[in-house]
Amino acid sequence: MSITIRHLGKRYGERVALRDVNLEVCDGELVCLLGPSGCGKSTLLNIVAGLLDPSGGDVLIDGESVVRTHPKYRGIGMVFQDYALYPHMSVEENVMFPLRVGEHRVARREALVRARRFMRLTGIEDLARLRPGSLSGGQQQRVAVARALVQEPRVLLLDEPLSNLDARLRLSIREEIRRIVKATRVTTVFVTHDQEEALSIGDRIAVMDRGVIQQFAAPQDLYLDPANLFVARFMGSPVLNTFCLSYDGGRRVLAGDDFSVPLGVLDVSRFRRPVGEAESVLAAGGCVLGVRPEHFHLVGGSDGLADAGADRFPVVFGTLVESVEMIGRYAVVHFTADDERCRCVVDVRRAPRAGDRVLVGLDCVSVHVFDADGGRLY
Amino acid sequence: MAGGVRGWLARVGSYSAERQPRAWLLLLPALACIGVFNVLPLVRVFVMAFQSGSLRHLRFAGWSNFVAVLADPSFVRALVNTGVFACVTVPVGLVVSLMLAVAVDSRMRGSRVFEALLFVPYLTSVVAVGVVFRYLFNGDFGVVDYVLSLVGLGPFDFLNDPRLSMVTLCVFGVWLSLAFNIVILLSGLRAIDPLLYRVADLYGASAWERFSRITLPQLAPMITFLSIMDLINAFKVYTEVYVLFNGMPGVADSAVTAVFYVYDKFYVQGRYGQGMAAAVVLFALILVFTLLQSLLVRRLSR
Amino acid sequence: MKRIGRLFAYGFVLLTTGVTVFPFLYMVSASLMSFQEATGVPPALLPAHARWSNFGEALRAAPFARYAVNTLIVSGLSTLGTLATTVLAAFALVRLRFRFKRLLMGVMVALLMVPYEILVFTNYRTIAQLGLLDTYAALILPSLASVFYILYLCQYLTAIPDTYYKAAIVNGCGDLEYMWRIMIPMSRSALFTMALLLFISGWNSFLWPILVTNTTDMRLVGNGLSAFVTESGTAVQLQMAASTIIVLPILILYAVFHRRIIEGVHVNGIKR
Repeated sequence: MSITIRHLGKRYGERVALRDVNLEVCDGELVCLLGPSGCGKSTLLNIVAGLLDPSGGDVLIDGESVVRTHPKYRGIGMVFQDYALYPHMSVEENVMFPLRVGEHRVARREALVRARRFMRLTGIEDLARLRPGSLSGGQQQRVAVARALVQEPRVLLLDEPLSNLDARLRLSIREEIRRIVKATRVTTVFVTHDQEEALSIGDRIAVMDRGVIQQFAAPQDLYLDPANLFVARFMGSPVLNTFCLSYDGGRRVLAGDDFSVPLGVLDVSRFRRPVGEAESVLAAGGCVLGVRPEHFHLVGGSDGLADAGADRFPVVFGTLVESVEMIGRYAVVHFTADDERCRCVVDVRRAPRAGDRVLVGLDCVSVHVFDADGGRLY
Repeated sequence: MAGGVRGWLARVGSYSAERQPRAWLLLLPALACIGVFNVLPLVRVFVMAFQSGSLRHLRFAGWSNFVAVLADPSFVRALVNTGVFACVTVPVGLVVSLMLAVAVDSRMRGSRVFEALLFVPYLTSVVAVGVVFRYLFNGDFGVVDYVLSLVGLGPFDFLNDPRLSMVTLCVFGVWLSLAFNIVILLSGLRAIDPLLYRVADLYGASAWERFSRITLPQLAPMITFLSIMDLINAFKVYTEVYVLFNGMPGVADSAVTAVFYVYDKFYVQGRYGQGMAAAVVLFALILVFTLLQSLLVRRLSR
Repeated sequence: MKRIGRLFAYGFVLLTTGVTVFPFLYMVSASLMSFQEATGVPPALLPAHARWSNFGEALRAAPFARYAVNTLIVSGLSTLGTLATTVLAAFALVRLRFRFKRLLMGVMVALLMVPYEILVFTNYRTIAQLGLLDTYAALILPSLASVFYILYLCQYLTAIPDTYYKAAIVNGCGDLEYMWRIMIPMSRSALFTMALLLFISGWNSFLWPILVTNTTDMRLVGNGLSAFVTESGTAVQLQMAASTIIVLPILILYAVFHRRIIEGVHVNGIKR
């Protein structure tokens, strides 16, 4: 049961909510739509569900266009952020509800049998007689999932289903959702603004911004191989360090005030374009160097003596530690380089203290370079 | 079968999430009723105001109905009476109910009971209550007259003395208007954040300061709403007159009001055009006064 | 100082509540008096002994039972009708999307400004033209929909998240099914309050019934009582008995549901 989205657009008067969205979700796959609020991810989900009309383009489920089809014939199940459990019905009645309405309604007894099966799957059999009002957030969440699945839909749509839960519960429920979804093998689209959630749950993730899919890839690829500056910045925590460097064509060096990166030390195979072409784009100016926090290495302490490892890095510069944030196993070290506030991640046992002078080595091979439009060059 | 066809239509036909013309189907019963009994009569009021003759043979009459009505001393009297009624009952009703609401709200024991009792006149038939008031105000054996005589006043013939008809009507009007005002004001008072009063106490505010600096400004929207509602209701006063004076507009038309005048012209005298012209004048007055009042209240609350 | 203020406030509230309640108490008391007691000077506060026969006499003097049945039918049916049209319309206005919705809402808000008392006369003409004078239809038809309550219910429904509706239609629930199984149960209390207030205002209606009815058989309690007052002349004790008969059902309803009714008025400032 695949979902194909072709050239989908949505505009509200002047405002464009979605622009030429293309997406292919395979049978049984769990895809996350990830992006900041207002990026169009919920709009996209609602169009797939048939709760909004597209302004252009097509949505196909199993190769069949559904944009002119009523939601009830699309074969979808949906979970909402607020769960939308009917407060005047018991848990059991809520789960049975989809089976007891519409022209395909089934007999009460059969509905009960089917509802019980999904209540067992989601672990809420014991709550059958309770009203949603007396359940915890996590339990309500399970009821909502059971209700969405009870019709055995071709497609399950989840709209920010975890954002009303507290942090700890979110972790366990998201694993639970993945388990249930994989057990039923239903094709699933999961909308979230939380990258960690998306990374942990999705088979593939579509990162969206301003109505456009920025990149659609497996979680690790989004992080290691971002398509553009937006994705590189959006994925990863602490956030990517960025520097506006100028390119010195004569010396073939990306030059900054505190450090410079010679093009020679980069891995030629990682360039997205032929090196010559990339160089002319760099020469046009406005390029951005992106460095993940883990690609800065502290190679020298406050004594100013270089660590043995310093020579591993072609680029090394000295700076002053401004503050140190303890995250647990890691510490985030804040410093300034090239007028940018930078973050780097170090082992907590080797963390310096605020005010220390340190030497920072740059893992040049792993950096990213973006052109003036944010497109990836390296 | 029909379901199958509908299902087929929904499947193949052009479903749209944002264009759902079936809404009109659901609105139809309500809109039909509103169209026939709210919009049509409104149009007809304006049409008939410019016509004369019997209901079967109405013909265009230009402004003559308005000329006739405005020249009719009885209509002028009706407008003056309606104006007096509004100018007395609205402010008096508001002030009294504001005092009452503040008193009831001040952590008084049994405030819910008082609220429930004070609300009763809002729900009971004006006719039934009017019949009781006729009895209480009776000039020969009424309780009101008797109580006043105990303090050396009277005797008064509230119902049959033309000079007193408006007084009686206004008393009845105020008595009727209190219930709704109090309930609305109490809900407003209960919505005021108690923290405001605690802060005021901290600064040693006097009771009057608490009232004028916190209660009154916080209640301003409620008071605005009530004054407009009360004013509109006062302009429509009719049943009160009918019942209090037993189907007459007081002795010698002394308590005739605008709606009563319209009723009389339209239903009793059969001068439909003139009745509707009077209705148009009343409608215009209500609109103007409502507008003026909301402007005034907005200016005052600034 | 503070205590004096409190005492004064208490006295004021007691006095006003007394003035509010007294007419009702006196109505009941006088309904049990003899003619001599009811019209005596100084007025008697309580009857020497309760004359329950006044009620029987009043019921014989005018067909109040018939009036009550008429009123029950008329306001019952108008209440049910208004509930039905209001639920359908408010659902469409709140949950569905269609052209000219904003315009329609604007027109309805504007219609609220038009006093009913002005429309009543031309409505009479419409009913006369339809040949419906002096029928139940005449009494019921104009109150089968209410702009005010449609807007009231719209406001209430807007506060309910639209995800309930979205979830329902994704599950294959039709509009009518949604209204019946989800919307109505979820807005039960608002609808109940609405029904109470609609019924009460139907019970108390006056101007419209005197216009469109002319036979005794079609009268409602309001104009029935007013006619009885004219016919019975000075038989005050019977008038009080008749008034009691009319007010009592409403007072009983109010005694049972007063919290709900007052809250309903709190929420929206319902007008008469």
